Amino acid sequence: MNLLPDTYHIQQTFSDWCRTGKKVQLPGVATDRLAHYRRLVFNNIHDTMENAFPIAFNNIPTRKWDKMVKDFFAHHACQSYQLWKLPLEFYTYAVEHNWDEQYDIPYLNDLLAFEWAEMELYNMEDIPAPAYCIKGNWLDTPLVLNPEHRLLSFRWPVHLKAKRRELMPRKGIYFALLYRHPETGSIQFTDLSPWLAFLTEQLAIGITVRDILDYAPQLNITDTDTLESDTLAFLKEMQQQHFVLGFQS
Amino acid sequence: MVGVGFRREFAEELISGEHIRPDFIELAPENWMNIGGYWKKILHRVVEKYPVLCHGLSLSIGSPDALNKEFLAYVKAFLQEYKVQLYSEHLSYSKCDNAHMYDLLPIPFRMDAVQHIVSRIQQVQDYLQRPLAMEIVSYYTPVAAEMSEIDFINEVVKRSGCQLLLDVNNIYVNAFNHQYDAKAFIQQLPLGSVAYIHMAGHEQVAPDLIIDTHGEPIIDPVYDLFEWTLAHLQPVPVLLERDFNIPEMAELQGEISRLKNICHKQWKLKDELVA
Repeated sequence: MNLLPDTYHIQQTFSDWCRTGKKVQLPGVATDRLAHYRRLVFNNIHDTMENAFPIAFNNIPTRKWDKMVKDFFAHHACQSYQLWKLPLEFYTYAVEHNWDEQYDIPYLNDLLAFEWAEMELYNMEDIPAPAYCIKGNWLDTPLVLNPEHRLLSFRWPVHLKAKRRELMPRKGIYFALLYRHPETGSIQFTDLSPWLAFLTEQLAIGITVRDILDYAPQLNITDTDTLESDTLAFLKEMQQQHFVLGFQS
Repeated sequence: MVGVGFRREFAEELISGEHIRPDFIELAPENWMNIGGYWKKILHRVVEKYPVLCHGLSLSIGSPDALNKEFLAYVKAFLQEYKVQLYSEHLSYSKCDNAHMYDLLPIPFRMDAVQHIVSRIQQVQDYLQRPLAMEIVSYYTPVAAEMSEIDFINEVVKRSGCQLLLDVNNIYVNAFNHQYDAKAFIQQLPLGSVAYIHMAGHEQVAPDLIIDTHGEPIIDPVYDLFEWTLAHLQPVPVLLERDFNIPEMAELQGEISRLKNICHKQWKLKDELVA
């Protein structure tokens, strides 16, 4: 490196200012104009998080949200050279620093995970689907699922409710399936029961519906009279919705 | 050739070509590499319709940090995949202490910084097997300068062999903010190295300060400076940047048309003189 230590230090100091807004001493700098750099840099980060997490942004008190973004940008070295991926680092930082406890938002991790999954699915590279047939045996032919999906589990129903007062009394076990529509690219999501979440997870690794149904008693599912028909109805509906693509060929 | 910066906000209008019809589009590889789904389809459609120039955001040529080779590999592949005719970047830094800033920070105008940048430009040019066009960025305060801005730029261009991206609005903004003569500044540049021109709008936020926002129409004095500048240059592509506060397409097309008329007037005259 050709930079002298002094120049290196000046560049570090300048970027520290942009990250933290903490007063710095820099030779030859107009301090009133220095403020614009902090404003422009920070606003860009703030806008990025607002756009990535619109539900969180709209439902978390402004002072808390601003503090989170400031904390993140000041203390986390942003790694992605693609700005659209930075919200993943924000979400990870929140989990690692127990923001759910620190900010008294117990459902925060779930909410950020849900919103990031939506953004990631929308933007991520295409994943080619395996070859499949439109017709087959629903029970015995392994199904081909849309590979552009995420199966998420939550402790709070952040995919169904946004307000704190609605979320807080509903702590439990929830599952959501998000997938990218193969033609429009739009992100669809659906709430799943624990059984349907299990079914989806098993189908994704190539297990047949019949084998999954046979396993139901081991999950303490005893009322199996309508399980098969309900399961097949769900899968047929999901074929209409472009999540079940077809049958292994 | 007058192009426009490709924005998602008016991607469909660009593809239809009904209300806006640039000669080319410019995009930032960082915003489009490794993208799939809807926007990849849109990207393919727009690239089928228009020639593509690329203007990067994350190279951070002035950074004290090492160049990111993985990033450069993606850039190289992207430029090849989309048959990009010109790749430009900013004479600034946007990463320090292993942290991206996602904005253009001013480099201290110093000789050791020149040497540092020259070495990095040459590494990038060698790796990409193409020249880099470096943009003279707008800046709001000098930082620990030991040489003039013009000397700094000239040394970088002379020693690295890079091309220049002359953002005429940036020169106007810098001349206003730092109280120098924009035309005198441009005359001192190595104009033979200019490979690309940017034009944009800005916002005056204080009596003595303009911020380069790309969020307003180009103002008349910047058009005047553009016209004056063209008289000193060989024909190069010209880009209209509009990143925020996107107007109706008729307004953007109006700006493109005005730029084209100026190019035609200045460079046709030059051609006639040469003939």
